[in-house]
Amino acid sequence: MDFIKSIAIAASGLRAQAGRMRTIAENIANADSSATVPGGDPYRRKIATFRSEVDRALDAKVVTFGGTKPDPSQFRLKFEPGHPSADANGNVKYPNVNSLIEMTDMREAQRSYEANINVIGASRRMIQRTIEILRS
Amino acid sequence: MSTPSIAANAYASLARMSDPAGSAKSAGDASAGPSFGTLLKDAIGAVNQSSRASEAQSQAMAAGKANIVDVVTAVAETEVAVDALVAVRDKVISAYEEIMRMPI
Repeated sequence: MDFIKSIAIAASGLRAQAGRMRTIAENIANADSSATVPGGDPYRRKIATFRSEVDRALDAKVVTFGGTKPDPSQFRLKFEPGHPSADANGNVKYPNVNSLIEMTDMREAQRSYEANINVIGASRRMIQRTIEILRS
Repeated sequence: MSTPSIAANAYASLARMSDPAGSAKSAGDASAGPSFGTLLKDAIGAVNQSSRASEAQSQAMAAGKANIVDVVTAVAETEVAVDALVAVRDKVISAYEEIMRMPI
């Protein structure tokens, strides 16, 4: 049935957004994770990717979480000579995570999740309303 | 002209329904597609299957193995199937009661 299919497609969106949320959580949690060795590289920000995939059983294109890609932008440099991960010049590399960007990304994931939930709710209500024709 | 034949079929099936001796004979007569009983059996089978699937998902979630999204979709599917079956059952029972109330 088409309504069941649309619920399944929206559910794939939910799963994908949950994966994106996990990536954002990882970025925010590691926002201050510096290197373990002096002069080494700290945590590198991850970017969530999505892929469109054909689901044979549903005969529709669903979205899947396509894994994470590293963000190639530069690390933040801070002059902290006493820090255990400082290099020879006293500079410490901090992750290239910007909490403002992560917050907007999180808001976006939240809104996409809600949009998919609304699709599920609307499909469900349409099915229920159709079945109610039998009851009247 | 197909209308007289349809009417004749309707009369024949009515006669078969009202004649208990002829019911055994009519059971083998599958010319008019699947009977209502088969239809109902298939529907109940489908509902049973989907409720098993949602039960398995719920158990997997309780064990911490399943995704909540899978559980929700499986349960929603079962809910729809059960609702449709219950609606059909209610309708059939009300039709039966309507017939039983018929003054003879």
